[in-house]
Amino acid sequence: MKKNILAKKIAFFAILIIFWQAISMADIWPNNIFPSPYEVAEDLVYTAADGSLFFGIGTSIMRLAVGLGIAIAGGVVLGIFMARVETVNQTIGSLVLGLQSIPSIAWVPLAILWFGLTDGGIIFVTAIGAVFAVTINTYTGVKNIDPHYVEAARNMGAKGTQLVTNVLIPAAFPYMISGFKQGWAFAWRGVIGAELLFSFLGLGFLLNVGRQLNDVSQVIAIMLVIMMIGMAVDGFIFKKIENKVMSRWGLR
Amino acid sequence: MTKLETKGIVKYFKHESHNLMALGGVDLKVEDGDFVCLVGPSGCGKSTFLRIIAGLESPDEGQVVFDGKPVTTTGPERIMVFQEGALFPWLRVQDNVEFGLKMAGIPKEERAQISKRYLDMMQLTKFADSFTYQLSTGMKQRVAIARALVMDPDVLLMDEPFAALDAQTRDLLLVEMQLIWEKTKKTILFVTHNVAEAAVLGTKVAVFSNRPSKIKKLMPVDFKRPRLVEDENLLGLQQEILSELRPEVKKSK
Repeated sequence: MKKNILAKKIAFFAILIIFWQAISMADIWPNNIFPSPYEVAEDLVYTAADGSLFFGIGTSIMRLAVGLGIAIAGGVVLGIFMARVETVNQTIGSLVLGLQSIPSIAWVPLAILWFGLTDGGIIFVTAIGAVFAVTINTYTGVKNIDPHYVEAARNMGAKGTQLVTNVLIPAAFPYMISGFKQGWAFAWRGVIGAELLFSFLGLGFLLNVGRQLNDVSQVIAIMLVIMMIGMAVDGFIFKKIENKVMSRWGLR
Repeated sequence: MTKLETKGIVKYFKHESHNLMALGGVDLKVEDGDFVCLVGPSGCGKSTFLRIIAGLESPDEGQVVFDGKPVTTTGPERIMVFQEGALFPWLRVQDNVEFGLKMAGIPKEERAQISKRYLDMMQLTKFADSFTYQLSTGMKQRVAIARALVMDPDVLLMDEPFAALDAQTRDLLLVEMQLIWEKTKKTILFVTHNVAEAAVLGTKVAVFSNRPSKIKKLMPVDFKRPRLVEDENLLGLQQEILSELRPEVKKSK
């Protein structure tokens, strides 16, 4: 069954690449506008060989990790407060919903003015793009905790931060993990977008260099890398954690 | 010696349009080592009464007196066993059982020693490393009971803990519950809607009236243990409980 799915996927991508190759060979558009898969692969090998690709990936991932880390820490704390303190929910909660609707790229001008063209600015954009998704999911998770868990824990003497770390966070974890997943998706978009505009190392920067050099195959190559990293993080990291959490928590 | 006393407990169920008086001044005296089974028509507030004793809800009037002192908050000397167990799915069985000890700051090795005793008692040793999703409903209730006993509470409050079990598992646990009570000498309050269960377990059976409920009758039960559900000499008592209960159930309809 699982093998079957993998075979289908491989066949699909093989057909896609053949199709792409066919179009480029038909010479409808010039090669520097519509490169063949071979040229894109060649470009990928070049940027990989001189190290700039890995340096770009490393830089972007670093920024993402720091930004997402901040977003998760902040979002979890804020989400728990919103769920447990009604006043916080009624006040800050409405602001969170509003801020959530701002695309992370719209924070870039502010980030540049506040942080200059620095790593700090990119991390700011990344974190702020992800934090509210984490907040909202944590809030929903804590709100949906079976009240018996909390009662049993209080009955057995848990209070304050003990209750938060030993019961609220683990009990809300299935929701929180979808928050992290959403947060990661926003953060990834945020970091690439910010790097494009800051033009300061990273994969977004490499995209911009490709554009400035009129190098379409580099642009496509970097886009493929961005996509593949996204698929890998979703498929390997989040899916694994999600499956484990869902079955252990008895939700599947 | 009186372990626990409730004085005129009144509780309203709050609805949008009106408040319904569920508990109409419940007075109950529980002696140290009593095993009191609480039966009553459904919706009479017997579970709420138990939750009030546990300090998980507050009464609108009246007070709970524990060891001579009024109590208003929850505390580990009055431990509740919930109908569905309320076990933590993110913890292994042993960690579930040790939860209260951990909260009390007891070091790991000591916790393991204490929990081992109760895991053995509840025949859970083999399952110490399992997660709750790997357990049957009956096993889960054993874990819930072990988790409560580990706290060494003065009073064990059990809210229909066997309601979701199949008959065979329940009968087995009814026998074990009696052994545990004899071994530990805990004071137990046990809410059930099952008259046979009450007759098997209790040293006393308290029958709740319909809303606004009070304790209509407190019946002592003096049969030899271990009692079994099928014991014929319990049938008379069951009939007696039922004859008190039936008119209340009718009124509640």
